[in-house]
Amino acid sequence: MSTLGVLGHLSKLETQARKRKEAPPQQSGLEELKATVEALVIQRDQLKAEIKANESVQKLRSEDPDQSTGGGEELGEGADGSDGSVNSQLLQLMARHAQLTDLLHAHHLIGGYDIIKTCQGNGLCVSLATSYEGVYLERYSLEIDVAPKLRITRHDVPTFVPLARLAEQGGALQTNLRGFLGSLSRHLNGYAGRKQQLKLVKEQHKSVEVMESNAPCSILILLMTVPQVKDIAVLCKLDYTDHTHCLPEEVTIQSEDKDLLETTQWKNNCTLLKETPLHKALATLIQSGDIK
Amino acid sequence: MDDLKRRLLQRIIRTMPTQMLKTTLSKWARLNIEQQESLDFTQPKFLLTDQLLALCGESGLGVKHITELEMIYIIDNPNQRLWHAYQLLEAGDDAHSVEVTNFKEQFKVHLTELIRHVSIKIKKHTDEAVWIRIAWGDRSSRPNHLKPTYVVHHLQTPYVFVTNLTSKTMPLLSQALVMATRYSSMKDANLSGRNLSAVRDLLMKQFQQVFPSKHLQPLGKKNQINSNPQIEREQDEQSETRLQIACEAFGGGTLPELQKAIYTLETKLKDNTNKIMTEREQPFRCVVTFKSTNILESLRHSAMTGIASTPVTPMLSSISQKGRNHFLITDKGPGPQRKL
Amino acid sequence: MSLLRPLSKLPDLNAANVLLVENEEHFQQKLADVMVNEKSVIVQVRLAKSLPLPMKQEKSRPRIDLVVFIVNLMSELSLHSAEASLKHLAPGYFLGKVCFMVTNARNASVPAERMEAVRKLASALNCPLLFAEDQTPDGVTNAAERLLVILRVAAGCVPMTTALFLSNLTRCTISTEAEQQNSDYDA
Repeated sequence: MSTLGVLGHLSKLETQARKRKEAPPQQSGLEELKATVEALVIQRDQLKAEIKANESVQKLRSEDPDQSTGGGEELGEGADGSDGSVNSQLLQLMARHAQLTDLLHAHHLIGGYDIIKTCQGNGLCVSLATSYEGVYLERYSLEIDVAPKLRITRHDVPTFVPLARLAEQGGALQTNLRGFLGSLSRHLNGYAGRKQQLKLVKEQHKSVEVMESNAPCSILILLMTVPQVKDIAVLCKLDYTDHTHCLPEEVTIQSEDKDLLETTQWKNNCTLLKETPLHKALATLIQSGDIK
Repeated sequence: MDDLKRRLLQRIIRTMPTQMLKTTLSKWARLNIEQQESLDFTQPKFLLTDQLLALCGESGLGVKHITELEMIYIIDNPNQRLWHAYQLLEAGDDAHSVEVTNFKEQFKVHLTELIRHVSIKIKKHTDEAVWIRIAWGDRSSRPNHLKPTYVVHHLQTPYVFVTNLTSKTMPLLSQALVMATRYSSMKDANLSGRNLSAVRDLLMKQFQQVFPSKHLQPLGKKNQINSNPQIEREQDEQSETRLQIACEAFGGGTLPELQKAIYTLETKLKDNTNKIMTEREQPFRCVVTFKSTNILESLRHSAMTGIASTPVTPMLSSISQKGRNHFLITDKGPGPQRKL
Repeated sequence: MSLLRPLSKLPDLNAANVLLVENEEHFQQKLADVMVNEKSVIVQVRLAKSLPLPMKQEKSRPRIDLVVFIVNLMSELSLHSAEASLKHLAPGYFLGKVCFMVTNARNASVPAERMEAVRKLASALNCPLLFAEDQTPDGVTNAAERLLVILRVAAGCVPMTTALFLSNLTRCTISTEAEQQNSDYDA
């Protein structure tokens, strides 16, 4: 110690002091790093597990691309087998899910239409699904010849849908198949929606009498009763001029009691009928006691 | 007048089975319940007619009311007549907004303008169809109620189904219909059959059509039957494709009932050595008629079992795909092309 | 388009395989349903509309011991289809392993020439010609039993006899036309 001298002693003290100063932050830094390592390790393990799962999912998919129900089948191969069937079942479900998502994506890419080749590639068969409020309704199909030019050979679209006009409009069929299918699909969905609404009205609101309807469900005449001192009959005519829509463009109301129709309440009811689907509008009217 | 009433009633009652008569009369609702109950349905029909006639007299019912009875019966039992389909062409802009009351009015106005002696009755049936009964007269005579024409039309669709129409009255009906529905013309759809709903379904495409699909439908019912492991069908796949092709050509499920398919071939003899025959103005006609209780079902079955070769010729598949059963086939080249 | 060969595969123990070829695909099903009930041997029935058979099932197909052509005399197509199918059989089959079965022979509207054509065909190929009644269950059972007798021999399940030997006795010959017909109706 003495050999160091004063300066040596001082410098020693200095380093000691520095050490003392640095030591606490270092320690906390270490802990932080340790925590990071731990987190990273966990993350790595997670990723590893994910990779493993993904790999086995891929393997499953490549093994059996057309597997329809993966859930119930036992795999019993490699490491997965020892994990028990729950794990492998899960994997199979994941594989199935991934496959379906891919299919759905592909389906969206081609515009949401089911198209398949027929006649050794000389024809197409397009099938359009209709839906209303999340319920799938009828499917309609078109068979189209490709050569020499696109031509609809067969279809099961209802007659009142102006198929020929839609196909001709600006040569839609030849040049803009997607546009054509889009407008056709709007027509069909409009029809399906109106039909479904009418069906729901007939089912849910027995008190409202459907006096008249036609094949495309584009004109509806309803007979409603307004409960007052004496029941008043109200005739309501809904005109769906635009066949691609499921809401009426025109609502006319007739009644013997002219004053009733002039009230703001009934004017509001008219707009309600115009703006909401028929079965819901009627439900609201019945709830508010405007009609029976 | 009384004589007409009697003859009309006689005709209706003669064609109607007794059981049907009871329900039809109650639907008619022109006789009160006591009157209906007083009728004895076990007696012979000519006596029943007399009794009904007396009741009609009692209630002051005339020819008009009796035609109503006939109409109710025909609407409920349309399949005893031969129905011809017509197609309306080129819809006007306001064709989609025609509704029943409007149509009724217009049709009556236009038809009475064209012919003075005519009796028209229009009724809207529950299945959205408008039924029209027309009794035609001519310049001097009153409408003949014994031979009425029946017309069925679904509004907003381009098809009309007609029974018992003569070539004389056809233009009148055509014009009145075209005006009332806001179309520009009407043509023969070359489809006829005894089953009204079949004719309608075929034209309006309301039968199940089969399209090629990725997901093979469970069409092959044969497979399920053949469960015995000792019996194996070697050519199952082929028969399944045949089934699919047959269903694509004629439709799946139960098919509309048509009774006939008629093909008329018109051709000229082309032979340089035989001048007389070659230069004949009239073409040679060959008519082939297929008859069956359900022609489409028969054709589908023959395609399915391989009796008819597959793919099915468009001549046959056009019946369900184009909705017609009268075909005229003419020579190619100048003149009308093959009308398929 | 390969020929169907009688001896290209090994036989199964106590089994007999019969191939029923019928264009209408109607009577064969009824026959098959009865034939599989046979207890003494295991009968495997293969049904076909016409020959050749699809290559796909070549591997899984057992050795066919007997080929039966069912001809509906009411239809010209039925006969033509059978004639066309014959080409796809190896010659070895004609040593007693083919037989013809005609239906609707009693029907008055059957043209005599068609019957004659079938008879000529059968005798030219040295095959037995059987007559069957396809409308009644009894007729079907009868026909199935007679086929089973031939099948058992053809499959080698009957000791001391062979298909070739049997066919010498049962084959159709034009000269004994009348007798043949009588015996077939009586049976």
